[in-house]
Amino acid sequence: MRWPQTVSHRLRSLFRKSAVEGELSDEMRFHLERQVEENIAAGMAPQEARRAAMREFGGVEQVKEECRDARRTNFLENLLQDVRFGLRMLRKSPGFTAVAVLTLALGIGANTAIFSFIDAVLLRSLPVKDPQQLVVFHWSARANPKRQSQSSYGDCADQTGVGDCSFSVPFFKTAREQAGTFSGLSAFAGPLNVDLSGNGDASIVRGLYISGDFFSTLGVNTFIGRPLAPFDDSPSAPPAIVLNYAYWVRAFNAAPAVVGRTVRLDDTTVTIVGVAEPHFTHLTPGKPVDVFMPFSIADRVRGEWWRRQDRLSDPAIWWVVMLGRLKPGVSIGQAQAAATTIFRNETLHGDAPAFKSEDAPVVTLRFARSGLDGETSQIAPALYLTMVIVAFILLIACANVAGLTLARSASRQKEMAVRLAIGAGRARLARQLLTESVLLSCGGGALGVLLAIWGVDAIGKLASRGSDQPFPFTVAPDWRVLAFTVAVTGLTGILFGLAPALRGSRVDLTPSLKENASSLPGAAAHAGRRFRLGDALVVAQVALSLVVLIGAGLLVRTLRNLQEINPGFDTQNILLFGINPSIAGYTDQQTQQLYTDLQQRLAALPGVLSVSYSADALLSGGWSAGSVHVDGAPPKQYANSAELSVGLNFFSTMRIPMLAGRNFTSADFAAAGATNAAAKSRDAAAAKTNPASSSAPAAPTALDEAYSHSAPVPVIINETFARKFLANQNPIGLHMVNAPRGDSEVPDPGPGYTIIGVVGDTKYAQLRREIRPILFSPLVSNGAHFELRAAANPIALAKNVREIVSQAGDNLPLTDVRTQTEQIDQLLFQERLMARLSSFFGMLALVLACIGLYGLLSYEVARRTRELGIRMALGAQRRDLLRLVVGQGILLVLIGAAIGVAAAMCVARFMTAMLFGVRANDPATFAGVAILLTLVALAASYIPARRAMRVDPIVALRYE
Amino acid sequence: MTKPTDLVQGTLDLLILKTIALEPMHGWAIAQRIRSVSNNVLQVNQGALYPALHRLEQQAWIQSKWGESENNRRAKYYSLTKAGQKYLKAEESNWERLSSAIGLVLKTV
Repeated sequence: MRWPQTVSHRLRSLFRKSAVEGELSDEMRFHLERQVEENIAAGMAPQEARRAAMREFGGVEQVKEECRDARRTNFLENLLQDVRFGLRMLRKSPGFTAVAVLTLALGIGANTAIFSFIDAVLLRSLPVKDPQQLVVFHWSARANPKRQSQSSYGDCADQTGVGDCSFSVPFFKTAREQAGTFSGLSAFAGPLNVDLSGNGDASIVRGLYISGDFFSTLGVNTFIGRPLAPFDDSPSAPPAIVLNYAYWVRAFNAAPAVVGRTVRLDDTTVTIVGVAEPHFTHLTPGKPVDVFMPFSIADRVRGEWWRRQDRLSDPAIWWVVMLGRLKPGVSIGQAQAAATTIFRNETLHGDAPAFKSEDAPVVTLRFARSGLDGETSQIAPALYLTMVIVAFILLIACANVAGLTLARSASRQKEMAVRLAIGAGRARLARQLLTESVLLSCGGGALGVLLAIWGVDAIGKLASRGSDQPFPFTVAPDWRVLAFTVAVTGLTGILFGLAPALRGSRVDLTPSLKENASSLPGAAAHAGRRFRLGDALVVAQVALSLVVLIGAGLLVRTLRNLQEINPGFDTQNILLFGINPSIAGYTDQQTQQLYTDLQQRLAALPGVLSVSYSADALLSGGWSAGSVHVDGAPPKQYANSAELSVGLNFFSTMRIPMLAGRNFTSADFAAAGATNAAAKSRDAAAAKTNPASSSAPAAPTALDEAYSHSAPVPVIINETFARKFLANQNPIGLHMVNAPRGDSEVPDPGPGYTIIGVVGDTKYAQLRREIRPILFSPLVSNGAHFELRAAANPIALAKNVREIVSQAGDNLPLTDVRTQTEQIDQLLFQERLMARLSSFFGMLALVLACIGLYGLLSYEVARRTRELGIRMALGAQRRDLLRLVVGQGILLVLIGAAIGVAAAMCVARFMTAMLFGVRANDPATFAGVAILLTLVALAASYIPARRAMRVDPIVALRYE
Repeated sequence: MTKPTDLVQGTLDLLILKTIALEPMHGWAIAQRIRSVSNNVLQVNQGALYPALHRLEQQAWIQSKWGESENNRRAKYYSLTKAGQKYLKAEESNWERLSSAIGLVLKTV
């Protein structure tokens, strides 16, 4: 056992440094003196004896250094020494240090900030117990299943083939009974907007339906109260809900007395039994939830969506997401095979088979973190693109600081030479320089973290602007962000420090030690070699910043193209707001009444020109669609179009031109209302007699008769509809019926639709989508979005609007009060965010590259002062000197731009999906950015060039 | 003249260990002893001697102590540790084997 001794010895060397150093000197001195004595004894004169002893010994300091090396504490000691010395050197040149640290801080800060978002959106594990055991069910098949209806709430990203992650409740129950591979199996659906009242003003909250074992499967507890349990999820149980922690804090001021309180969800009184744990912020990332409700109240809360369908027992309604917790020791493959067996059993051999056996339906289990990717998959491309952009910024920053360090190491040549001459190794010098670089990057990293905190906050605010919700992902530093920053900081230091360190330690001793190194031919040649590296760094910066700028240019043009699209209606001075009387318990008749009432009252407001409403606001992202069969068209040829039900005066309010036929009148609304009422009473009766299998044909009843004899609904089509489906016909007066549902071939026997008019084309849900055929019908039920056409900026009307709505109907919460332009901004939110971020980073890249160019040229001018003086003395004009300096700058920029254009052509191809109306290799953007870059670079080179022109030959020559 | 640095790697260590096996010695005396015992064939350079001493001490084969020298000065005396004695023995037999093997090769070929 030698190590105790070794360690104590090493510790002594490290911490009793001065004592150990003293002993080392004593030892050497003793040796020398002993040798001197010996030499004198051998008959030498004292002085001669001393000289001989010294000669024999060799370099005392070198021997000492080797002894220190032998003690192996040198590494740490040197490090401390290097750090101390490095700090001193950096303090001696505050300008350089400040620029370098700031540049690096921008690079590291931007990377940390964007990585924080990537971490929050894509990497952070779900806030549940042992998330690695949690799997989400997906099904896929070769053909679409026979389903009556299917809903998904954005939990899973769209797949390429047939399949998603919605299942029916009966399948979920069967799987729960039969699957032995899970220690827990639960389901959820939503969140849906529900109307919560009984706690101050009525408000819209996001309610998630969950199965009774949801909390136990996830391993989530409550902060206060109790979680929902299986007994809550039965039709006879008293309705109970659990609040999400953040919602509890926001809406109930974190009052503990909330447990046991009753509130009303839509029209149902429910008891709050608990508040979920604070860390359970979300399940599907990006989809915050306010309240958890058991499936058992699904027919009472938001039941109207489903009419007569019983979504808790109908195997043809697929709408819940299934989450299972794998039993310990069970592999995902085993569980998947078991789940597929159950799925096939149900969907092939059940009561109402959804698939044929050749469809080969299978269930795949995906780990919950990657499986619940509905929201994240939409922003992931933007995040990755931003990450690439900031990585470029960091590279530019590195090249920039490397250039600065290089120029500085040139001026430190003499210092290096001295250190080499007194015995420092080249490796030792390189290490010293590298230490200084890492010190700089640490400073940059520390400042960068501060910038990142600010940046995350700013981007989060930017990202949530235009919507009333906070940014739906929790962005907070965790160990991953920390590790990322530390790694980036260290790598940065090495990356920009390595080249100057290697170059700086390779010093030619003799010329460097002479008084004025730079004036010597040898040194000049040497410097020439150095500056090939400096040139390369500037070229790299220019190329990188060009790529970033071109990316930004393409994104900005995309945004502008989208903003300049004519959506087909006048978007200015429109105030929008949504209300949903049906979830507040209004009947269709009352809803009609309310809408008419509101329309009149709102139109009477001063400053309001006209008022209308529609099921969805235009350009809000929401849409619905359906298929109709036009009378006289070949059988089975259906017209698939978007559908929008609208109120009276919709087209005039939105300023959509009427091209043919006539507008809707009050009589049309009455007719549509009557037809709708007939359809509803028929459906209600059918649901009563035949609740489970509504798909089975029943004998026509009197209500059916009444329905099919009611008046056709008057509809208005847009120009595209007429062109696409009714070419060469006069559309006015044409009659259409609904296309058959499911696989029946008999068209719907209902009264159908009569076309009464044609209007101009408009964009519907999205600006990016092509204009689709639209079928406008009178709005006679359900929620609506009101449109107020005002004479001037309508946002001031919001207060009056709220008053009027609360007078007209109590318990009616307003949602999404915004102007139409705000609505469009919200729609273009991601495009605008990307355009802004990329422009910001593009400008940053440009500035950094210009600083790099400026620094290089300034240094060149300073170094060549004498040469410039001589040139002037020999008759060179100022113009010539200007050309000399600016020429060098332009040459570098042109080389960099050429490389950058080539690189951008490769990189921009990956952006194609994000662009609109501009090609990835758009020549105008490329040329514009290249010209901008060249002009700015010209300005950056002009300043040092002016300095060169002002060189006074006499001063320059005497300076030597 | 053979320079110690040209010696087989590790030989200097062996010489030092052997030299101080009898009694504690300071650096200068070690160099002198090696030189005189080897009839001036092996001249140990100080530039190699002291780093070797410090390395051996770091490895805990030898230890050092300040003491009075023969000319009444403070000098650093090196002596073998227990581990060092074992190490020396092992190294000696190694060396024996190696040199006799080399001798055999040289004689026969």
